[in-house]
Amino acid sequence: MDHTRQEMDREREQKRITDEDGVAVESALVGDDLELSYPTSEETIVDCARLDVPEGAVTALVGPNGSGKSTLLKALSNHLEPEAGTVRIHDEDLESFSQKELARELGVLSQENDSLGSITVEDLVYHGRYPHRGFFDGVSDEDHEAVERAIELAGIEHIRSAELGQLSGGQKQLAWIAMVLAQETDVLLLDEPTTFLDVHHQFRVLETIRQLNEEKGVTVAVILHDISQAARFADYLIAMCDGELYDWGPPEEVVTETLLADVFGVEATVRCEPELQVLPKRALPNRN
Amino acid sequence: MREAKSMGEHAPTRQRDGWVTGTLIVFCLASTVVTIVAGLIQVSFGEYSMTFGEAWRAVFNPDVVFDLDAWSAFLFGTDLPEMDTGSVVVWTLRLPRVFVGIIAGATLAVSGAIFQAVTRNELASPFVLGVSSGAGFAVLATLVVFSGLSPFLPLIAALGGTFAFAVVYTIAWKGGTNPVRLVLAGVIVNMVFQSLQQGLFFFADDLGVVQTAIAWLTGSLTGTGWGEVRIALLPAIVAVAIALAGSRQLNVLMLGERTAQSLGMRVERVRFFLSAVAILAASVAIAIAGVVSFFGLVVPHIVRNTVGGDYRRLMVGCLFAGPALMVTADVGARLALDGIQMPVGVVTGLIGGPYFLYLMRKQQSMGEL
Repeated sequence: MDHTRQEMDREREQKRITDEDGVAVESALVGDDLELSYPTSEETIVDCARLDVPEGAVTALVGPNGSGKSTLLKALSNHLEPEAGTVRIHDEDLESFSQKELARELGVLSQENDSLGSITVEDLVYHGRYPHRGFFDGVSDEDHEAVERAIELAGIEHIRSAELGQLSGGQKQLAWIAMVLAQETDVLLLDEPTTFLDVHHQFRVLETIRQLNEEKGVTVAVILHDISQAARFADYLIAMCDGELYDWGPPEEVVTETLLADVFGVEATVRCEPELQVLPKRALPNRN
Repeated sequence: MREAKSMGEHAPTRQRDGWVTGTLIVFCLASTVVTIVAGLIQVSFGEYSMTFGEAWRAVFNPDVVFDLDAWSAFLFGTDLPEMDTGSVVVWTLRLPRVFVGIIAGATLAVSGAIFQAVTRNELASPFVLGVSSGAGFAVLATLVVFSGLSPFLPLIAALGGTFAFAVVYTIAWKGGTNPVRLVLAGVIVNMVFQSLQQGLFFFADDLGVVQTAIAWLTGSLTGTGWGEVRIALLPAIVAVAIALAGSRQLNVLMLGERTAQSLGMRVERVRFFLSAVAILAASVAIAIAGVVSFFGLVVPHIVRNTVGGDYRRLMVGCLFAGPALMVTADVGARLALDGIQMPVGVVTGLIGGPYFLYLMRKQQSMGEL
């Protein structure tokens, strides 16, 4: 019993550091022995020995509601101090950064953004330059250029002077993403950026993320609600269940019928040809 | 050549430092005109009546305006040089009251605007967050119980306000604060202090003391002069300057706590620091004019409705609109009823309240920050 467990651990250990070609993968963001809980409750919500977000790739966190994805993301972005364990970005402890220094390394888009009606898209994107400006600093040419790039990348040229309150949910989300892009960080964490959007805008968001990753080599960790979307879109998947990491690696290895049954509680067919496809069929009984 | 090109490229995009809009400029000019007209009315009428022309000449009397001795008398309390009766009435009695109104109006409006952003709550004002009632209680206690301390009334008011806000902040603090907790704590602390105030009235044995106390608690500019200007000018300038410089921080704070933090702001620290500035501003106003109710709540809303929610514009707008409303209200307070001076707080409530309600009925989005 103990033996097989150890073997499994070793297997996982190996999977953590190599990709499908057997080449070692460097991690931009590492969580070590994390135990996470909220100050208001005793209960440990997330418990994981090691978490890797591979450098220069798009990693999707998937899992059912309440599996601890958002909590984990909060810890990775220093919004929640871990009960135990550390988070390192490019091998440096998050704690060693000042708030502004961190905001130049790590961009974060929260799940719920407070609706702010009267601000224009352009003004919002300029707020992304906050960590690059001092208290009394004006706007530099560098800020202008970063904002222009972000607006172009998010494809929101045409709505740049519109007020946020007049926009659709999808356009708003693109505006918020442009703000995070203007931060010009090497690592980006996004909490369910596609939830509640129509299909068109879901793809717009995902394509923007992909483009950013391919052109600038930005490391992205993104929580996605839809497992089939995540399977097609991400380079790596991290599947969470009950506050623990269930499995991680390239989608072809992670997404199996067993995983869908164990983690998501659905009976599904997984097809690998011509490309990875998940077809959920029905909910399995005996799940709360 | 290359530089010229890169400049040209930026030209089509809106200039970032150009947040000043036409509406803002018109709004500020209109407010200035209102302030000046109201001020002129204020200096013209009274027991020693003058025509507008006489009043105007007295205000711009070169013998006073360019006399360093006179200014030193006004601002540092040295001996007043000789001048004609009109100038004396205008410059030592009526004009300083206008200046006090300007200072109180500007600081209260700015204070309310900051509190609304810090708590992200459209109902926030120095009043709601306990500052006003704390200051009011301190004043009342001084007048009724420790009457020997009355020369230090402004200082005591500021201390009371700071204490009340500290209580509110401490109660609301639980590993951080949030707007709802802050306002809830503010409302409760407010009620406690108001009960205390009402209780104190029973201990006042002198009717004069009660009247002074009521004037303080409703806000009054009666009898204010250069002494009040001297007390208030420096802290007011400091508070307003910091508020203007911090308007971008307030804009970021308005994006929400988590976003502000993600952008690298130390949210609690900035919130605490800006709250302190708002308390300073409110205390300045309370120290010289008493608790002018409603003002810190209404003015930012009026300005927001006109120039928009961007705090860089909002702050500047408040700086002009606050004085305009305060000086106008004080004209009403001093001259509306023959022979009796009302507290200005009564008039701001009577002007500001209905106007606020009118805006609420007219605008769909009233109250949204």
